[in-house]
Amino acid sequence: MSAAVRHTDVAAYALGLLEEPDRRAFEGHLPACPACRHELADLRGLAAVLKELPSFTG
Amino acid sequence: MAHRTPTAPGTWSWFRAAPGSVDDQVIVTELYRVYGRPLLSFTLRLTGGDRHWAEDVVQETMIRAWRSAHRLDENAASLLPWLATVARRIVIDDRRRRSARPQEAGEGPLENLHAPDGLENMLRSVVVSEALLALSPAHREILNETYFRDRSVNEAAEALGIPVGTVKSRVYYALRALRVALEERGVTP
Repeated sequence: MSAAVRHTDVAAYALGLLEEPDRRAFEGHLPACPACRHELADLRGLAAVLKELPSFTG
Repeated sequence: MAHRTPTAPGTWSWFRAAPGSVDDQVIVTELYRVYGRPLLSFTLRLTGGDRHWAEDVVQETMIRAWRSAHRLDENAASLLPWLATVARRIVIDDRRRRSARPQEAGEGPLENLHAPDGLENMLRSVVVSEALLALSPAHREILNETYFRDRSVNEAAEALGIPVGTVKSRVYYALRALRVALEERGVTP
């Protein structure tokens, strides 16, 4: 059902936007992919910054 | 924005790099170009939306920054926190001066700003909002349709009538653009 994991999934994963099957698939991909692990660490900081926003409704 | 030079950490070295060699007008212009908008947004909140007052406060803040160049932290990625603190100080002083009863009148709206945490958060949210507004409409839209509406990529894909993979990659490129926009404003998440 879920397509193959792509490296760009890391952003949706960091923001918590993936549904369960995709989320698990991406977590399966992580240990084998240093690039995604590195990028995830970066994007987590960004996700934290967005979370601090009071209420953005653009 | 095409004319905006991307700024890396330690970005304001132009500000004090060559004392006396840089024209004062250039320095003030540069201060306004880099920090004018975010500082005004921030100051408007302190003045309760009084634009004229806020603009005066921003101007005074820029003048003080220019005078204090030698006292500023050279390693700071951004002058914005310093500028915001000065602007807040000026607003408080203005209120005191205007108020017949300095101890009571006008204290209310500033009360929650006394905590440094509150100030930091407020400042940061101003900068982050600015960065979001600087994104292309397509990037902003995909974040609105997903994260800010609390939708999964699948839900957003359905709502937009586009493939899930497209939503995921747009989210990815939107976040990369946001990161650049934040770095330009001195925030390195």
